[in-house]
This record gives sequence, C-alpha cells and structure tokens, in this order.
Amino acid sequence: MIRFQNVNKWFGSLHVLNDINLQVSAGEVVVVCGPSGSGKSTLLRCINRLERIQKGKLFVDGMPVHDSTINLTKLRAEIGFVFQQFHLYPHLNVLENVTLAPIHVRGMKKKEAEELAMEKLERVGLADKATAHPEQLSGGQQQRVAIARGLAMSPKILLFDEPTSALDPEMIGEVLSVMVKLAEEGMTMCVVTHEMGFARQVAHRVIFMDEGKIIETGKPDQFFDNPHSDRAALFISKILKH
Amino acid sequence: MLEFFNYRTIWEYMPLFEEGLRNTFLISIVSLFLALIVGVLACAARLSNWRGLRAVSIAYIESIRSTPLLVQIYFLYFGLPTLGIRIPEIQTGILALMFNSGAYIAEIVRAGITSVPNGQIEAGISSGLSYFQRMRFIILPQAVGVTVPPLLGQAITLVKDSALLSMISVVELTRSGQILTSERFMPAEAFFTVALLYLVIYFFLKYLSGWSQKKLIFRET
Ligand SMILES: Nc1ncnc2c1ncn2[C@@H]1O[C@H](COP(=O)(O)OP(=O)(O)O)[C@@H](O)[C@H]1O
Ligand SMILES: [Mg+2]
Repeated sequence: MIRFQNVNKWFGSLHVLNDINLQVSAGEVVVVCGPSGSGKSTLLRCINRLERIQKGKLFVDGMPVHDSTINLTKLRAEIGFVFQQFHLYPHLNVLENVTLAPIHVRGMKKKEAEELAMEKLERVGLADKATAHPEQLSGGQQQRVAIARGLAMSPKILLFDEPTSALDPEMIGEVLSVMVKLAEEGMTMCVVTHEMGFARQVAHRVIFMDEGKIIETGKPDQFFDNPHSDRAALFISKILKH
Repeated sequence: MLEFFNYRTIWEYMPLFEEGLRNTFLISIVSLFLALIVGVLACAARLSNWRGLRAVSIAYIESIRSTPLLVQIYFLYFGLPTLGIRIPEIQTGILALMFNSGAYIAEIVRAGITSVPNGQIEAGISSGLSYFQRMRFIILPQAVGVTVPPLLGQAITLVKDSALLSMISVVELTRSGQILTSERFMPAEAFFTVALLYLVIYFFLKYLSGWSQKKLIFRET
C-alpha cells in the first residue's frame, strides 16, 4: 500500500530523511516513534505530499508519489491525515467541516454528503454534535471530528501525526479508542505516537526513528520489552518515566 | 461665535458646496472601488510564488507607504503630462488616491489572508481541495471578518485624504471652502461648513461599518 525505496529528503543542509526503506501493506497498523526532531512528521507528510521527497521512490497504492506529474487530488483523496492540533475550520460547524471535501472534491450532493458525514460522526460518537461549532467542543471531541473528516473521503489510508499529544490526559482515551476501533476494522494506518498501550494493543509493527533514519523495526511487545539498539532502549526508558 | 456667522453667505454658496460634496463623494467611491481591485491584485502578487511579481508588488507597496500622498499627487499631476498623458485633474486625483489606498489595502488583505493558520490550509490540502477551493471555502470566509473593519477605516482615511486634491484645483469639498474664502474672505464659515459635511460622510461610513460587521463577520458563537 505504501512503499518507501531509498527515500531521502533535506531541509537545507539538514538531512531529515536518510535513506528510508519501508513497506506498509493494506490493513497494517504501523506505529512510528522516536525523539522529537527525528523526522517522523516529515515521513508522514511525504506520503500525501505535503512535503516532497528529493531522492528515491515512494509509491502509495501504486501511484508514484515521487513523480511530479501524478494526480495529487486523487492521491490525497485516498489518504486521511489527522494532525496534532486538529485544524478544524472554525467558521464551519461540525457537519460542514466533515462534508466540505466530499462535496467539493468528490462532487457529492449536499444531502448525500451529509448522510455520509452523519454516519462517520456516529462512528466517532459525535452524531449529536453535528451542528456545534469547533470551539464549543473539547479537545478530544475536536480530534474525533477531525478523524470523522478524514474518514468522510473514504480513504484507503489514515495517517495520524501525534493525534493525542495536544490533549489533556483525560481526553486521550476517547480518541485512542476510536483509533483502536478503526484499526480492528482493518484500516491501513500509520500513527506517530508515544502511546505504548495503543501500540501494544493494535500495532502490527513499531518503527523507531532517530536523526532521519529508521533505526529499528519490530513487533510492539518485542520492541518495547527488548529493544535491539541502545538508542531505542534509552528512548523507551524516557517515555516510561514520563 | 456662531451668532457672527454669516449664514446667508453659506446659503448663497450652497450650490458650490453641493458640487464639492458630490465630487468628494464620487472621487472617494470610484477611488475606493479601484483601490480595492489594485489592492487585491497587489496582495495576490505579494503572496505569489513568482519572485519577480513579489518584488514588483513590494516595491509598489513600500514606495507608496514611504512617501507623502501630496508628493504622489504632484508626481502624477506633473509627471503624466511629461509622458504625453493629458487627463483632467479629477482623474489624476482618482489615480493618485487609487494607487495610494491600493497599497494600504494590499497590506490589509494580506493580513487577513495570513491570519488563517497554516494548519487549516494543510488540512484543506490533505483532503484534496484545490488552491481556489481553499481560498473560497477556508481562507476568504475567515479573512473577511478580519479585513472589513480596517478596510472601512481605510475608506474613511481616503475620504479625508481626498481633501489634498484641492492642491491640484479639483473642486471637491475642501476646494469649495477655499473658493468661498478667497471670494468673500469668510474662512470660518467656509471651513465650518466643510468640516460639517465631512462629518456627514464620516457618520454614513461609520453606519455602514457597523452594519457590515453585523452582516459579514462569521458567526462564531
Ligand atoms: N519546513 C521545514 N523547514 C526546515 N526544517 C524543518 C521543516 N520541517 C521540519 N524541519 C526540521 O526537520 C527535522 C525533523 O522534523 P519533524 O519531521 O517535524 O520531526 P518530528 O516529527 O520527529 O519531531 C527537525 O529538525 C525540524 O526542525
Ligand atoms: Mg512531529
């Protein structure tokens, strides 16, 4: 579904992705972790081309993302992206947030899009908030709306960039449980997170990055209990203390 | 002092004030309309990816903001004829106000557009919305709320700035006061009336501003 082949990217002289090789198959849930600044967000952002790779190849559902001539709308319609800071549109209500792309990108009728949106809101447990405005919702609710917005395009892949890092502790659970449900339903997911519980419960693989490189890959339990590299061990001890 | 006022003379000169008011109003409306177009274009150029276009826009905006309006008016008034362009003073004045306000409006519009957080734009990109769809559905609706109050402020400034066109003998409101002064030597009567009429325009725009804020600012509860 997603294939990185010797992918490299620089920001000026900073080598932010260093020869990345990674394959994610359909239905797989991959958790990416690593210290801040290690390139996790950039890795995710390359997949829907919010950032462009400079060397190597990257395929998403057969589409060559490294190729400048691909149809970006089609690529992005297949990928839902959930941000750390939610980024809902504050001038639109919840339902309008969710239906915006289905109407204008997919060309759906308003009625049809609203039915679809209600179904997605139901899935994240917020059907009763359809007419609320984002600032009336808690952080956890906003993030669940953002997930519903991603789902409304019926994507094949969902990308999450630290979806719970901006949330108060008591709201993390409600967002994670939505994500667990999606994972169990067979959605292909790449999740940048330090939530070990989530990783152990649903991830098929954990990828550990540092300084733009993939240092280590493993099954969650093996990775967290017996990391191979010293860097990963140090990192895990830090998040455990936290 | 009001009892010494020569109301009869003011009354007698009403047609002149009327002409002045009409011209001030007309000049302001037309200049503002053109300045909005110039401002939006200059802002688009300022935010474009093309470096040459950006440089031109910055040069324009900065050169307007760094020089007095009166100098800009004289620049066009004396400069255009040397280029072989001869147009009536009133049109020269409209051009000057258009270029002047256009530069300020470009910055107002830019502030509105850049006030929308980048993350929302990335959310739009990620869900496949095109540049124009993002402009139309995400950026502009939010930018309008931020932009309208300073735009009305600029409109009020423009009306007052149009007084400088009296320097190139456009018969607008201030000029009509000058004419009365020079013909009858009644500066107090003349400029009291002029000020009063500016006040009328000001309150009209104020009213418009209050109305538009109720209408346009997005309904965040
Ligand atoms: N647009 C950018 N321009 C320049 N440097 C950037 C940009 N985005 C990220 N970086 C840098 O690239 C490195 C990796 O960033 P990021 O992928 O956000 O890391 P992570 O998500 O793992 O914290 C960091 O050092 C960051 O400062
Ligand atoms: Mg990050």
